[in-house]
Amino acid sequence: MTNGFFTNGSGTNGSGFEGGLPSSLPMGSVVGGSLTEGVEIRLNPTGDILIEDVKVGTFVTIQGQRYRFFGVVTDLELNSSDARLRHSPPDSNDPVLLEAVSGTMAYGVVSVLPNMALPLISGSDERPVAAKTVPSHFSPAFPATGADVAAVFGQEDDRHFWIGAPLDMDTRVCLDLDNLVRRSFGVFGKSGTGKTFLTRLLLVGILQGGEASSLIFDMHSEYGWSGQDSDRDRQVKGLKQLFPSRVSTFTLDEDSSRRRGSSPDEVVRIGYGEIEPEDIELLKDNLNLSDVAASAAFNLKQRFGANWLGEFLQRGGAEMGELADDLGVNRAALGALHNRLSRFQRFPFLEDGNRHNAAATIIEHLEQGRHVVLEFGRYGRDLSAYILVSNLLSRRIHERYVELKEAAEGGQGSDPRPLVIVIEEAHRFLSPSIASQTTFANIARELRKYNVTLMVIDQRPGSIDSEVMSQLGTRFTCALDNERDIDAVLSGTAGSRQLRGVLARLEEKQQALIFGHAVPMPVVVHTREYGTPESYAELTARVGAGPVAAARPGETREERVEREIDELFG
Amino acid sequence: MSQPLAEVIGSDSRLLTAQCYDLYCSPQLGALVSVGDPKVFAVVQGIRTEPLDPGRPVLARGRDSGSVEDIYRNNPQIERLLTTRFDALIVGHEVDGRLVQLLPPFPPPIHSFVRACATDEVARFTDNLDFCRFLLGSGPPMADEVMVACLRHAANCRPDGDDFIKRAGQAIASESVGDSVRMAAILRRARL
Repeated sequence: MTNGFFTNGSGTNGSGFEGGLPSSLPMGSVVGGSLTEGVEIRLNPTGDILIEDVKVGTFVTIQGQRYRFFGVVTDLELNSSDARLRHSPPDSNDPVLLEAVSGTMAYGVVSVLPNMALPLISGSDERPVAAKTVPSHFSPAFPATGADVAAVFGQEDDRHFWIGAPLDMDTRVCLDLDNLVRRSFGVFGKSGTGKTFLTRLLLVGILQGGEASSLIFDMHSEYGWSGQDSDRDRQVKGLKQLFPSRVSTFTLDEDSSRRRGSSPDEVVRIGYGEIEPEDIELLKDNLNLSDVAASAAFNLKQRFGANWLGEFLQRGGAEMGELADDLGVNRAALGALHNRLSRFQRFPFLEDGNRHNAAATIIEHLEQGRHVVLEFGRYGRDLSAYILVSNLLSRRIHERYVELKEAAEGGQGSDPRPLVIVIEEAHRFLSPSIASQTTFANIARELRKYNVTLMVIDQRPGSIDSEVMSQLGTRFTCALDNERDIDAVLSGTAGSRQLRGVLARLEEKQQALIFGHAVPMPVVVHTREYGTPESYAELTARVGAGPVAAARPGETREERVEREIDELFG
Repeated sequence: MSQPLAEVIGSDSRLLTAQCYDLYCSPQLGALVSVGDPKVFAVVQGIRTEPLDPGRPVLARGRDSGSVEDIYRNNPQIERLLTTRFDALIVGHEVDGRLVQLLPPFPPPIHSFVRACATDEVARFTDNLDFCRFLLGSGPPMADEVMVACLRHAANCRPDGDDFIKRAGQAIASESVGDSVRMAAILRRARL
């Protein structure tokens, strides 16, 4: 009576429960609960499965009368049929008495949120769907097997990226890559919980999917070329090393890149003429500027035109009074603005005029199906530089994508290749006070309308504008401590109360809770290995087999392959 | 088959009363007995020795005797005037050679022979612990005492006495859900 998607408990045991729990034995049966709160499973009195064997975040299947349910353990409770056991517990030195009471009068209750359901129709090849009902009373529950997990999360293929293993199981949880890049998504977690490794994996996943390019504003220069695994005190390879033909590295700090052994494809230079007053407004907090001082930039733009910043910085401090009077702005405010913006002169990547068009070069690489990593080198330590450059380039790129998309809608040209922009320290861009002014908030809000989405990496999701958070399709969260951050990550999610318990108990390393569009149900994974030769081989194997780049407009598959060979080998 | 040691003198669906052939020769409290053929099984839940004629109450006779034995020796009529009777709670019966722990369709007829179950028969019957339900439900004041006595008797008849007590503990815990104190008291005393 099963249709093959979920095992009926008698299949091979993919469970990694310590001691190899026999999944053919029911762990317990449903004794209560609700669709919103999840069902309660009373563990069997036989003692084959102790409550200590069951962990929050692990998977369970429940064999109902008409459906087979697949759910996640959200809570564990010790219960007893006699309240007096709390007040006069049995003598702990009496094993016979303890054994008699355990599982009968004193028993474990496992709370399970049933997420997926599969109709029990013989021979049906229906896929599991979101559960809209609950298993009936006393339905038996089993530890999920590897086959159950594969039925729900899909088998690894070009469209499904293996991100890790469920807790205590030796099986693969896969992300639906199409769904992942279709909307913006976020990676959260406090410092040192593995955000960077998770991000590296996701970037490889985007590469594997082949449908989207990514632009990574690499604050700490850890994604393009080698990065540091401080826990294991070793160097790990960057994307460029793993996929040299598909990744371009750009740098703001050529010296730093070369010192690290990276040979960047392009060195980014930005003209003062590319900086807009909006960029300065965004940096208001970082530069410690008042509202008045920041808004004076708009007056300067009006006065000097495109190269307003270059003109402004050429003037000495003594000229400020006169200029302020001329512009009709507060003298002190303009002085402060001049003073703070003078810091930009210490950034060698900023140049006079508007000779370079870094955004255009980046777009060119992206359109060729490449993934671009912009290394900030030593300037990554200066948040002002990071915010300025990433916002400025994103704005340009976004504008270009809007143009291309609108042209495509008008029948001129094809849709631009989908792009995922990766930003770190996202709360600095997307805090409620400035979110409305940044390109990133626009990108997050517009969803995939213009084929640009965001990948937001942050350790303080609580400081990100709630509207932006609500637009994130998939959220990956490593361990978080702060209540506000946990609330923010779980906001607007079904079953958030139950997930809170799961999230609060994530281990500090290599574990992440994933929920949203890319997975059919929330799942805690032990993220797959990144950094060993075997892991590199596994990561590159599937990408190598996939499409190298998206087709150009009007290009056939054969033409594309030929072009790619030319591009690779000259 | 062992010799009968008593005879049924009263019975209903739940309880039977038997009179022993010999004074003070009843099975022990909590012992399993079988009645008739096909067998009905019962657990001894109360033993009493009393005058045969309720109109002739027993009188104290020992003022000048040195011991209880002297009293019986000097008054040989006593053994003719007294009898030992016991009540047993029906806990199962035999159907086509199988032991089922259900009440029989009809109570055993009066004058049916009552035999003490042999060790192996006790072991076979107590493999299943459903009979605990009858004993626990037999009501105060003796139910728990009979349960304790029965477990002790059965454990002595079985090679796996300790394991049997554990299993019985779980069965009793399942039956007396909500009364851990009662369960603990039974289990503790069954192992004294």
